[in-house]
Amino acid sequence: MSEELSYEAATERLEEIIKRLDSGEAGLRETLDLCREGRTLVERCATELDAVGKGLEELRLDELVARLENGAGGGEAAR
Amino acid sequence: MSSLGPTVQERLEQRPAGIDGSPLPGPWPVGEYAQRLRGWLRERARLQLFGEVWNLRETRVRVYFELRDAQGALPCAMWRDDLVALGLTPGALADGAQVVVGGGLDYYPGAATSSPAFSFHVTALRIAGEGDLLAQLDRLRKRLDGEGLFVPQKALRRPVLPRTIGVVTGEGGKARDDVLAGLARRGWAGRLVWAFAPVQDRHAAPRITRAVMDLAALEGIEVIVVARGGGSLADLFCFCDETLCRTVALLAVPVVASVGHHTDRTLLDDVAAVSCSTPTHAAEAAVPLHCTQAREQVRRDAGRLAVHGRRAVIGRARALARLSRAPAAHLERERSRLHQSLREMRAAARRGAADKRERTARRALALDRKVQSAGLDGRRRQRLDALAAVLGAHDPQRTLERGYALVEDPAGGLVTSAAAARERGALRLRFGDGAVDAKVREATDE
Repeated sequence: MSEELSYEAATERLEEIIKRLDSGEAGLRETLDLCREGRTLVERCATELDAVGKGLEELRLDELVARLENGAGGGEAAR
Repeated sequence: MSSLGPTVQERLEQRPAGIDGSPLPGPWPVGEYAQRLRGWLRERARLQLFGEVWNLRETRVRVYFELRDAQGALPCAMWRDDLVALGLTPGALADGAQVVVGGGLDYYPGAATSSPAFSFHVTALRIAGEGDLLAQLDRLRKRLDGEGLFVPQKALRRPVLPRTIGVVTGEGGKARDDVLAGLARRGWAGRLVWAFAPVQDRHAAPRITRAVMDLAALEGIEVIVVARGGGSLADLFCFCDETLCRTVALLAVPVVASVGHHTDRTLLDDVAAVSCSTPTHAAEAAVPLHCTQAREQVRRDAGRLAVHGRRAVIGRARALARLSRAPAAHLERERSRLHQSLREMRAAARRGAADKRERTARRALALDRKVQSAGLDGRRRQRLDALAAVLGAHDPQRTLERGYALVEDPAGGLVTSAAAARERGALRLRFGDGAVDAKVREATDE
């Protein structure tokens, strides 16, 4: 289920959780549950940010198209 | 294949042989011909022409444009000085402008490093009115708007943090660098797919359309940027192409347009999800999230969660400790009570035993006293012994030991007469060393 959660949704929920924890109104059980959920969300956000933080990967559309066409060359000899 | 310039070889030969079987005169050197052509064209009548300005282009000394109408066009050239001398309001001579030009045909024969060009040499010019170009654009704009095509792209969900971005732009232009700079400002370093395409002239529109469609078909593409630096409206007219704009309007992937015309919006600006003034802004619109800041925020959030978590864990540990002490305390109390009971029982047992011993001792003492009071001293003992001796003398066992036998019947009764013996029939003879069974021969029963 967490894979379907968008980055925006994850950060929104994380904010809610931290707000609730900071309020001091959460009981012991709830605090532990929220901390666990929060950690999962933090990991999700960190993963997304890491995916765009390692280094720019530049591709060319014309190369991709060529690769696609060459790859399908066997079955398209009639062209 | 012969080169255009004179080679050593061609200088050596004055003239090559003509084509076999050709009725045409010659061959003559081309440069000579070019020069003559120019002369001939310049002799043609000078006249005025009218049409629409298209693809206006200025260099340091010259101005070039095409003069067009529905039936055809003419390439025009003008000295920049001549244009300036006309005193036109700046921007009046622009793509789409209706003009009247005066001049004559000309031919530039080219040089070692520049190509030849045929042109209408303009020496006089008058702006006649705004061209049809803008009117066309306006009509198309109204039509597409009427069909609701300005809406769909803007309704698409734009991810705050895309992993893969497609960019349509010219290969050599500044727009490419500006897009990279914009992405770097966001701290974004994901996957970028470049779709290089011509971004002006009449080949541009179909190529841009194709690029946009191919990018949208790539797996994982989350947003497409179409970027071009500034230019005249004619330069950007490819972005007003109807097919391109309809394609973008209905594309499933959001398109961010930055085609850079400062006064007029192209149609692409109207159909796109977002229209930006520069490629840098387009890159920032493609990645709304400021990644560097976001990384900081996530770190902070993780820290806050850890603090809350630790506090909660400590609180829980304390609570558990309290709960766990309770049974221990209970057990301790029970244990004390048991020990107490045990001590009491032991004490009671010891007292009981002591009492018993005391009682026994008292009884023994009493018995002792009784014995003593019964006088069982030496004299008494002597008399007992005497009595015992007398008894012994009379003990039937003693008699048996002297050799006599006791006669009994099987039932154990004494038989003291022969008559009784004959009567019994069976006898038991008890000797000093044991008993034997005997049968009477003269039994009266026989």
